Amino acid sequence: MDLHKRVAELRQYVDFGEADARRLADVRELLAPDFARIAQEFYDKTREHEDAHAVFTGEDQIARLQRSMQTWLGRLLGGTYDAAYYVQTQQIGEMHVRIGLPQRYMFTAMSRIRLELERLITERTPERAKETNAALHKALDLELAVMLEAYHDAMAARVERRRAIDQNGSELAQADVAAIELTHELVVGIDESGLVRLFNAGAEATSGYGREEMIGQNLVTSLVAEESREALERVLADEALKRFRVDSLVKTRAGKLRDVGWDVARTRIGNIHVFLIGHDYTEERTLAERSRRSEKLAAVGTLAAGLAHEIRNPLNGAQLHVAYLERTLRRANASAEMLEAAGVIGEEIKRLATLVTEFLDFARPNPIERKPTSLGALVTRAAGLIEPEASLAHVRVVRDLPSKDIEADVDGSKIEQVLLNLARNAVEALAPVTSSGGSGVVTFRLRRQPKSALLEIEDDGPGLPGDDAPIFDAFYTTKPQGTGLGLAITHRIVTDHDGTIEVDSRAGRTVFRITLPLRGAPERSHD
Amino acid sequence: MDPRTALILVVDDDARSARTLANMLREDGWDVDVAIDGASAIARLTRKPMPSVLVTDLRLPNADGIAVSTFARSRDAEIPIIMVTGYPHLAAQKLSPEPIVLTKPLDYADLSAALARVGVRS
Repeated sequence: MDLHKRVAELRQYVDFGEADARRLADVRELLAPDFARIAQEFYDKTREHEDAHAVFTGEDQIARLQRSMQTWLGRLLGGTYDAAYYVQTQQIGEMHVRIGLPQRYMFTAMSRIRLELERLITERTPERAKETNAALHKALDLELAVMLEAYHDAMAARVERRRAIDQNGSELAQADVAAIELTHELVVGIDESGLVRLFNAGAEATSGYGREEMIGQNLVTSLVAEESREALERVLADEALKRFRVDSLVKTRAGKLRDVGWDVARTRIGNIHVFLIGHDYTEERTLAERSRRSEKLAAVGTLAAGLAHEIRNPLNGAQLHVAYLERTLRRANASAEMLEAAGVIGEEIKRLATLVTEFLDFARPNPIERKPTSLGALVTRAAGLIEPEASLAHVRVVRDLPSKDIEADVDGSKIEQVLLNLARNAVEALAPVTSSGGSGVVTFRLRRQPKSALLEIEDDGPGLPGDDAPIFDAFYTTKPQGTGLGLAITHRIVTDHDGTIEVDSRAGRTVFRITLPLRGAPERSHD
Repeated sequence: MDPRTALILVVDDDARSARTLANMLREDGWDVDVAIDGASAIARLTRKPMPSVLVTDLRLPNADGIAVSTFARSRDAEIPIIMVTGYPHLAAQKLSPEPIVLTKPLDYADLSAALARVGVRS
């Protein structure tokens, strides 16, 4: 039965007629101002649920989906429910298979939207609420029926493709197939044109793609991130290489990058010409990076604690004597030059003292004190603190907060320090733009994730100088007056919270992205 | 109590700095006694007149600034204490009620301001 007939039959079954369509169209204008809010609240709620959240590739995608939901709400209350309408509904169902969202979320999501629309209708048109809500329920149920059927059809087609592949796609012996399916390593086979012919369970788990999608696709373009395609393509094209190793970045369905080391062998079995056995190094690399940094920190910390006292004591003597000297000179009516000379010494001593303090902060920080903290309030406060210096530099500060506040176990004053550090850097990064008459924007963004909070500080400045500059390392700086400790302290505070910090920078958009677990890990010593 | 005649006990193991600081304070109208280690500071606190303010380093030979402060409070529970230290967090944690803590290198203007605050107690 074609779509049109199926829908017509369903509409008859629930008694959805022209009067219902009109009732919905009548409330559209009343509800439209709330569409953006409903969509935002909907996706903010989704962020709390791990399986649902896992399908998102990032904030850009979520923003797009939010806009699609607004369009959908407008369509739902549009009053026209023709064949073209339900083709679009069908596409929504198919799209959910493509992004890998479990079907149960479509069901339960509808209930959230239903309740909110019902509430608004009851509140804004109390005299027509009963009929309008009845029409709404029918329309939403039709919507769900068509979406779920489309989901089911798309899923069934996938399963069928997969069954066909598993049955006759491979010429490998049964025991070999079992072994390949058991390993956690990625095992991929490609034919002479580079198309995937074998894609094991390990490859599926790492990439998030099913073999029914990957088989027949070009391995390099569909699985490898752009920046590492060329290296892989080059070695694959070189027939003289029979056995070699190569690293590449695999891009998963959710857009995450994984470090994969491939062991490649040119061995012909059936239509497979090259076998690639991949090992996912991502976690190992992150751990190695983290331990390298913390070893460096520990060494620096021991040195710092000892040195700070030894430096502050003589500085103290110097400072006092300069103050005394200044006072004596002033009393003796000394020349302005002499007074200035004494003043310069005093200033330099203070500068040195600041460096010692910052250095200690970084190398021997006070242990963090976690308390349930409203992150929304924290962001608002930090943005307020930075606003005066930002406006002096002609930079606008934007707060982008979620519909519902997020509470997390963090050390508020430390996280505030992090936000201020990053925002101050952002304002400074915009200086070349604003000093030549342009304008700049620094955005504080807060979002919920299932088990963590996401904090972003974004600016539209010229971007960081290089891709792999060790910006989080101590004493790395590009500023003439910088100590090179600001970002190192920031990094340390975030990792002391068991959080992560990363940067994404290009000309016109630099984002520092921090995730903080909502609940703190069990007590741990930080020495 | 007139702050201008109040007696300050300055405790610092850097004798030259202690002397310079004492000179400046005296020029500003304060009475000052100096001790250059913890033990002699405690000894000074057993004698009269009892100082009205204690300005002490945290790290000192022969009894540290905490010990000196605790002893001073045993003699006068209300005595204002200004601790000058390279370890501001340590100093604040170990004494209750917390002393006024100034970080080294000491800015004389900060010390004057702190003295003005505590010197006018009734």
